[in-house]
Amino acid sequence: MDLTDKEYVQRCRDGHPDDFRLLVHRYQGPLFSYLTGRLRDRSRAEDAAQESFVRAFQSLSKLRKPEFFYSWLLGIARRVALEQFRSLKRRQQDREIAETMMADSPDSDADYSLDEAIAVLPETYRQVILLRYYEELSCQEVAQRLEMPLGTVTKTLSRAYALLRQELQARAGADRTINQKEHP
Amino acid sequence: MNCIECRDNLIACIEGLLGDEESSQCQAHLETCAACRAEYASFAKLQQQLVARGQAAADVSIVEPVMRRVRAVPGEPQRNTIMSILLKHRWGLGLGATAGAVAIIIVAALFTAPKIQAAAVEVMTKGAEAAAKLTTIHIRGQLRTAPNENFSYIDPDLDFVPVELWKQFGPELKWRVDKPGRLAVMDGQSTVLFIKPDFATKVGRSSSAFDTQWLHEMADVSQTLNNELSASKTHGWPVTLAQEQGTDGKPKSVVTVEASTGVLTGDYLKNKFFSTADTRRVYVFDDQSQLLESVKIYLHADSGEKLVFELDQIDYNQPIEAGVFQLQVPATVAWQQEMQMLPDNAKYAAMTSEQAARAFFEACGREDWNEAGKFCTMTGTIKDYLGGLEVINIGDSFTSSLSLISGARFVPYEIKLKNGEVKKWNLALKKDGRTSRWYVDGGI
Repeated sequence: MDLTDKEYVQRCRDGHPDDFRLLVHRYQGPLFSYLTGRLRDRSRAEDAAQESFVRAFQSLSKLRKPEFFYSWLLGIARRVALEQFRSLKRRQQDREIAETMMADSPDSDADYSLDEAIAVLPETYRQVILLRYYEELSCQEVAQRLEMPLGTVTKTLSRAYALLRQELQARAGADRTINQKEHP
Repeated sequence: MNCIECRDNLIACIEGLLGDEESSQCQAHLETCAACRAEYASFAKLQQQLVARGQAAADVSIVEPVMRRVRAVPGEPQRNTIMSILLKHRWGLGLGATAGAVAIIIVAALFTAPKIQAAAVEVMTKGAEAAAKLTTIHIRGQLRTAPNENFSYIDPDLDFVPVELWKQFGPELKWRVDKPGRLAVMDGQSTVLFIKPDFATKVGRSSSAFDTQWLHEMADVSQTLNNELSASKTHGWPVTLAQEQGTDGKPKSVVTVEASTGVLTGDYLKNKFFSTADTRRVYVFDDQSQLLESVKIYLHADSGEKLVFELDQIDYNQPIEAGVFQLQVPATVAWQQEMQMLPDNAKYAAMTSEQAARAFFEACGREDWNEAGKFCTMTGTIKDYLGGLEVINIGDSFTSSLSLISGARFVPYEIKLKNGEVKKWNLALKKDGRTSRWYVDGGI
């Protein structure tokens, strides 16, 4: 059975750094998806994802709540993406690209808010979402992998959907409030 | 079915997990209840977004590059060393400076490694800096492999075949990898693999799909040298330097790296791909330009050392004709199709890999191409080859050290082809995530 994020982080800290590969394997898809939403370029997103994982590994001892590894990783990735923006802005030849990347399109928030919503799901729900959609396992395979009945997987998935929608609605509401305040 | 029951079953309905009767009841309720229909639509939209995200990230595989870098740096809390400061400001330094920054980091780290000559590190560092600002690259060499096999497949007993890569860097990233039996082209929008004469498959924009990663790493000269030095330090690979005169009469620096991947002897994939092979890599740099000029890779096989790859032409920053990144495949090719749920899907999903291998071969034996097509995209070439075969034996499946990531299982088989030839080999099978069915991923 797969270990939890907390257990993998603990193993890395306890002298099994190669176990970090299992965290990379678990989160490479969603992190790449998140960074693609931010950077609008697959190649840059891949570079930034690598950089984010390496920085995460280097700072693993600073992570106070290992159960929130993915949320923390997204925070690192957000900073890496921001550094890319700034670096691109500084480089004359890439100014045009940076402007394109930074331009706010109507859907720009939606591009990565779902990824952020996934990150704040309790781990049980997040794990089912990741296995089902990023590892593209069937519900039956998710059940086998997590050693739980198929009905439990379906219920967990249902709850995960509800939590995701709730989180997305909360974020959309907050954005609307901010926009209203800025543009009365 | 009432509203409460319907909503309890919505996700199961969207996921196709309900039985016929329950599914009909759910659909019937949805047709009559606008509130539940809206709920269904909301979840279905969310599911589409999740599926799209998963598919877009499906070909991303950064485990090995990350682990190479992770192994090369200490996993301790960050301190304000030169190394940590450079890493922290890596992006801020700009991409042009990145190679230099990384090179400095590696120089600092490598001086403590016992088997690595500092002079060799300096040559590679300068080589990385010299190739840091690439706009295009074209590399040409030859590899011991089968023309139709995977791009990174190596076999010391086979003859050389030419292999070539063109790459345009930057936001307009495009690339092409070519060898006699297969080619892959990324035109900026999508990536197509064409295996001659009649198979093709297509995925989205990709930086290195279809097993071309090792050639891309080779083309990204700075990154290659950086990786070599990092891995050498981590694994204690010897790195040595020699001076020689090139065929052009100019002085050259020759750096040799003795690389061992750590894949155990006896592993099925050991020495079959570059990522699993123990090799000696010889890099030749021009002393004046400091640029990498050629590469030779020797395989440490059971039968002794043998040259398996030779890169003898590297064109830096030369214009590449637009036509190189355009690919017209013959109209007769069989395009790989996404696996679909079958009416009797559960029967196939319940199969073991051995049962799936047997079912596939037996269908080929009967020339039942509809049935065989449930396991593999059946091209004319495969039909000609496997049609009418006789199954002699199907063995117990096994995995390799790479199966954790690739998910592949290998099923030993022995078949008698219609021309009388007996073939004994291993069928590579992977399980499709959506349908839970095994499909043939290689080994025919």
